[in-house]
Amino acid sequence: MKHGYVLNVMSNDRPGIVAGVSAAIASLDGNIESCSQTVLNGYFTLIMTFSLPEAWKIDDLRDTILRSKGLDDCQAMIQSMADVAPPAETSQQDVFVITASGPDCKSIVASFSSYLAGKEINILDLYGDLTPEGDFVLISQVAVQQNLDIQKLQFDLEELGQDLGFTVRLQHNNIFVATNQLRLYR
Amino acid sequence: MLQTDEVLSTIRMLHAEHLDVRAVTLALNINDCASANIDQMCKKVHHKILSRAHRLVEVCDEVGGKYGIPVTNKRIAISPAAILLAGHTPSAAIKLAQTLDQAAEECRVDFVGGFSALVQKGISAGAQTVIDALPEVLASTKRVCSSINAASRKAGINMDALHRLGHIIPQIANADSANHGFAAAKLVVFANIPDDNPFMAGAYMGMGEPEAAINIGVSGPGVVDSALKRRIAAARESGKKLTLSDLAEEIKISSFRVTRVGELIGREVAERLETAFGIVDLSLAPTPTVGDSIGEIIKTLGIEKVGAPGSTAAIAMLNDAVKKGGLFASSSVGGLSGAFIPVSEDATLADAVNCGHLVLEKLEAMTSVCSVGLDMVLIPGDTPPATIAAIMADEMAIGVINNKTTATRLVPIPGGKAGDRVNFGGLFGASPVLEIRNIEASTQFVHFGGRIPAPLQSLGN
Repeated sequence: MKHGYVLNVMSNDRPGIVAGVSAAIASLDGNIESCSQTVLNGYFTLIMTFSLPEAWKIDDLRDTILRSKGLDDCQAMIQSMADVAPPAETSQQDVFVITASGPDCKSIVASFSSYLAGKEINILDLYGDLTPEGDFVLISQVAVQQNLDIQKLQFDLEELGQDLGFTVRLQHNNIFVATNQLRLYR
Repeated sequence: MLQTDEVLSTIRMLHAEHLDVRAVTLALNINDCASANIDQMCKKVHHKILSRAHRLVEVCDEVGGKYGIPVTNKRIAISPAAILLAGHTPSAAIKLAQTLDQAAEECRVDFVGGFSALVQKGISAGAQTVIDALPEVLASTKRVCSSINAASRKAGINMDALHRLGHIIPQIANADSANHGFAAAKLVVFANIPDDNPFMAGAYMGMGEPEAAINIGVSGPGVVDSALKRRIAAARESGKKLTLSDLAEEIKISSFRVTRVGELIGREVAERLETAFGIVDLSLAPTPTVGDSIGEIIKTLGIEKVGAPGSTAAIAMLNDAVKKGGLFASSSVGGLSGAFIPVSEDATLADAVNCGHLVLEKLEAMTSVCSVGLDMVLIPGDTPPATIAAIMADEMAIGVINNKTTATRLVPIPGGKAGDRVNFGGLFGASPVLEIRNIEASTQFVHFGGRIPAPLQSLGN
């Protein structure tokens, strides 16, 4: 029987972190099933799901992984997949992309995310960064229930952006697929 | 997963560079509306257009909103009116045109094309009715557009038809003298007319097409020009040498992206209207808006004055690269699919005419390698009919010999002389009246009449 875990590792970015984590899992006869890493401003974050042939206590497993070569200064968090809720049903949802850009301010992410949360719109992917000109650019893929009024959402988001001096757009994901990838639709 | 730079470049293309879908055209076969009674026929035509097109504008706006791309023009194109008008009088033709105008207004579309006739080999009774009615039809309706196919690769050039049109075109302009003869801008004379063109004034639904279809015209001169300018600036900054091959590649990439936008919007509009998806027309269609110009692209490609030596080569490269990028983006390419050079609708071209850099003969040379012909060319109001016919014959010859579509949209300006500036406003723009040289020197050629035979299909040098 397989036992699934989700692992989150954070550290200052440098070579060898992925090597250390994957070697530790291999030494436990584990199999990595999915992973994604991001580096922001020199700080590294890794999220990974993997399975092991035997069940482990969470604290013991974390300590074992962090003892692996080259992971001394890393922080890690582990959770059993048994405690992870299954992914939400997506057949009644469309993926849209929100883009916002404007002068950097403290509450921008909070404003948009709380509006989206109020509409039960799930954020699938989020990216934000400062441009060399000092503007903050936010790009977010969101899952929108098909019964929501897109024009109303667009209007609300634009209005929300205007209050903060941001230009905000909500557009269907497929326009970005069609104009950048070889296929027309995802 | 989308890449951040991909999202940002699409946003830039759509919003900073003003990409839009220039035209969504619902092509509709109305041959089943034929009747010996003109009132019955008009009733059927009105009902058919309303039943198929009443949601067109609403659906285009919905789909455009979903993707964040405006659909600038929504239009209807019908099967040639000449077929319905066989056995009818010009006054019946005017009634039909008024019905089309009314139906277009009720559907909130800006134009309805297809008040058309195919006369490349001869003029049928229905075609004659259409041609005779054109002055009143085009001057008295707002939205009706007409096209006449007067030549083809297989039939040659119908000089009798061109001579007749040489008389009719000034009559159309004079009937609309209050608007500087603008009504003549609603008539296109073609060689090798495409059956699925979404662009006005030449859109009509040809033979062999489905009952109804959605055809899409993309825009994009601004997008292509911006991409070229960025590439040139980046090369200057890095000191890297840039060749015309590199620039052609940049045009291809932009064209791919522009075409994809059209395909995506077109397919969804067609699906929502439960209509067949027809084609994406790859033509780059300029507007008088600054930056949305084919002339500007020619200048970006290093021709300082549009009309200078090299202009024909530059537009040939542009036209070819646009097609290569677009053909990979869509499996449903059709229509005219070439860079348009409508003089009054392109501020840079109009300016080149004004400065004396671009003359009729150079425009004609450029049309031999791009789309669609002498388009929105303003000519003196007193240009003799035989000279107008001869200008059209030259353009038709380019199309017939080179196996491509060519056309003329000549507007004789009532009372206008070469150099006078005329402003039609809106998308139709402004331009000086072009000088026609050697007036009346082709009269005998035109008066011979008959048909210039179809050309050889081989030994094509």
